[in-house]
Amino acid sequence: MISRVADHCFWFGRYVERAEATARMLTASHSLALDAELEPHQCWRPVLVVSGEEKQFRAAHAPEDDHPAWGDGELVERFMTWDEDNEVSLKRSIVGARWNARQIREVLSLEAWETVNELHLWAAGEASATEWRDHRYGFYRHVRQMTQLCLGLLRSTMLHDAPLDFIWLGVLLERISQTARILDVHHHAFTRLPRRHEVVETALWLSLLRALGGYEPFMKRHQGRVSADTVARFLVGEARFPRSIAYCVHSAHDRLCAIRPAAERELPGGRTLERLRILDGWIVARRSDALTGDTVHDLLTHIVDEAHAICDGLGRELFGYGG
Amino acid sequence: MTDSPRLFDDYAPLAGTWDELFGPGGPRPPFARVLEQLGKMNAGDFTRSQSLAELALLNQGVTFSVYSDNRGTEKIFPFCTIPRLVSAKDFAHLDRGLTQRLRALQHFLDDIYDGQKILADKVVPAEMVLGSAGFRPTLRGVKPPGGVRIHISGIDLVRDPDGIWRVLEDNVRTPSGVSYVVENRVITKRIFPRAFDAGRIHRVDHYPARLAEMLRSVSPVAAEDTTAVVLTPGPYNSAYFEHSFLARTMGLELVQAPDLFVDKDMVWVRTTRGPRRVDVIYRRTDEAFLDPEAFRPDSVLGVPGIMRAYAAGNVALANAPGNGVADDKAVYPFVPDMIKYYLGEEPALEQVPTWVCLRDDDRRYVLEHLGEMVVKAVDEAGGYGMLMGPQSTAAERDEFRRRIEAEPRKYIAQHRLELSTCPTWIASRGRVEPRRVDLRPYVLTSREGPWVLPGGLTRVALVEGSYVVNSSQGGGSKDTWVMKEDAS
Repeated sequence: MISRVADHCFWFGRYVERAEATARMLTASHSLALDAELEPHQCWRPVLVVSGEEKQFRAAHAPEDDHPAWGDGELVERFMTWDEDNEVSLKRSIVGARWNARQIREVLSLEAWETVNELHLWAAGEASATEWRDHRYGFYRHVRQMTQLCLGLLRSTMLHDAPLDFIWLGVLLERISQTARILDVHHHAFTRLPRRHEVVETALWLSLLRALGGYEPFMKRHQGRVSADTVARFLVGEARFPRSIAYCVHSAHDRLCAIRPAAERELPGGRTLERLRILDGWIVARRSDALTGDTVHDLLTHIVDEAHAICDGLGRELFGYGG
Repeated sequence: MTDSPRLFDDYAPLAGTWDELFGPGGPRPPFARVLEQLGKMNAGDFTRSQSLAELALLNQGVTFSVYSDNRGTEKIFPFCTIPRLVSAKDFAHLDRGLTQRLRALQHFLDDIYDGQKILADKVVPAEMVLGSAGFRPTLRGVKPPGGVRIHISGIDLVRDPDGIWRVLEDNVRTPSGVSYVVENRVITKRIFPRAFDAGRIHRVDHYPARLAEMLRSVSPVAAEDTTAVVLTPGPYNSAYFEHSFLARTMGLELVQAPDLFVDKDMVWVRTTRGPRRVDVIYRRTDEAFLDPEAFRPDSVLGVPGIMRAYAAGNVALANAPGNGVADDKAVYPFVPDMIKYYLGEEPALEQVPTWVCLRDDDRRYVLEHLGEMVVKAVDEAGGYGMLMGPQSTAAERDEFRRRIEAEPRKYIAQHRLELSTCPTWIASRGRVEPRRVDLRPYVLTSREGPWVLPGGLTRVALVEGSYVVNSSQGGGSKDTWVMKEDAS
């Protein structure tokens, strides 16, 4: 497969996944703000921290730490949805997905391309602005459904071959970073709430699980026992939950093995494959560790750093970056 | 059904112009059944169908990029869903004429890049050919793999007031538009199933498969071991949609020049599994930007060394570089002579009578009739360097008179042609009116010979009174339905 095309496939997957993740996170935060008896900034500031856009938001809207903008849900939602200067806004993700898709139209199936193109046209038009204003939930639901439709069509209408492996590798690496950061930020914030209130804390963890589509799977595993430890262990180590870090790292390793079999030593990509294999083993080895306090932060930091390094490695070894 | 007028109720063809669907006494007989079905709609029904079609094109991203807009805006090529029909009898005639023309042009290119006998025999004046910007002296003696030079052609046809088909222009370098033929058909079948069923219409959706088969047929290696690719200048090219469409529907990789490199006179593509040999390239890049070593030392575009690989016979390029000499406006007037010279046949297709200013008699006639003629500079395209006699001022005519006398080789002239019309939906008036059309059929030539796609791109001048069908100047497209058999 052509290196440049593989690169676009990978980024197409990342952007589609990022659009879905952003839509999920904003829906969950919106719902949380309505009923969790939290200060507004406790609901909304983590959204900015998770997406790595705290600094940008501070510069644009909230120069001081106690500025009311930090708790202005409407402003944060608009910033995370529409702001074209915000690199991870929903709008930018949709544009990014569609731009990459257009570079590789001959690679995607027509049906998958149409969903991402329709989503793009919708997001650029009047209908989406009206929907966002009048029916916020419906707006994010539409984004989620279109991205899911796209990911589903990719699997059901494309050859299960290198291009799909690269797209899925992008989806999985994006998901690893999303899950790791969202858990890190929330874990940090929730376990340091000034007056720890069991009902409130439970609501927060449930909201986090909902943002990751993991509410029901979590309940099936833990039958209502919601705590910082159970949620963290579930999101890091549950091998059968498709958004857990363990699942995503393991699947990413499988995908890369399909692209670049371990036995074919002369092919490029060996170092990245090895790095992914080591990370997979490292997470499995930590499955029974207790996850409290700083352990969680250290573990998640390591995972995010490794995910970055793996993406860089793919660029160098397989996508032809840097000659 | 309501009482409102039906689609063709008050349709009136223009006087002195051939209409493709309606004769003086109503629907042309071969199309009667199809027109009866289409004619059952009223304006409201039709508006709905037309908007569905436009939405489908936009959602599918069947768009072209607008160069002038640096945000990379994409637009749909305006599409009128009322089809243009071609009778089985007419198509048989076109099939014969196009095949013959392609065979002659292929002989001409073989000859010009070898012995140049046609010039020695003075059938075509040597200065018209050797002075052409499309002639590449460095390619003389180079034999293309598989022996084919014009793999894909799009020869523009028009129809005069007597209904006679005439060749307007040959395109044998990188003709575009075939993706609209296939996509337009998908939509017309969806919105007019009954009308489509009422005629028996040739399919066009096998074009990509025939194209892939043709590309493999000219491979320097065995067909089953061939790696063929489509080479595009990239997503900012106005025809990018078509490049990706063809790659996708053929199942080939779409590459850009930086994906390719040349080593040991062979072409390779950079892949995630290391370099892979490439045998056939359907190139949609202009040949001037194909190889900086060969054509444009100042260019950073292209694949350095690709022409060496081509000359060594290690890669087939479709179309062959150097074809521009065959579709030069200066050479066009001589194509009927080529047909007689190379094939010993009479030309089956007429073309537009053309005066060559290099010839003394022709030049005298042109200078005497400047006010009625269209004068074209041979090495300029897109309407530049043109004199539209009937609309010109005395000063413009004097200017052209001076230019023609100074460099007669550079100019040819024709009378303005009354292009035929086809019923066309005019949304702003909510009714059907006659608009002028041309037809670009596509011909694939494999090692075994030419094949004409039974269909083609009908371009329509949407502006009232206009003769210009180009998409950049208010043109749109129609689906072209070629009948398998004519209704009696």
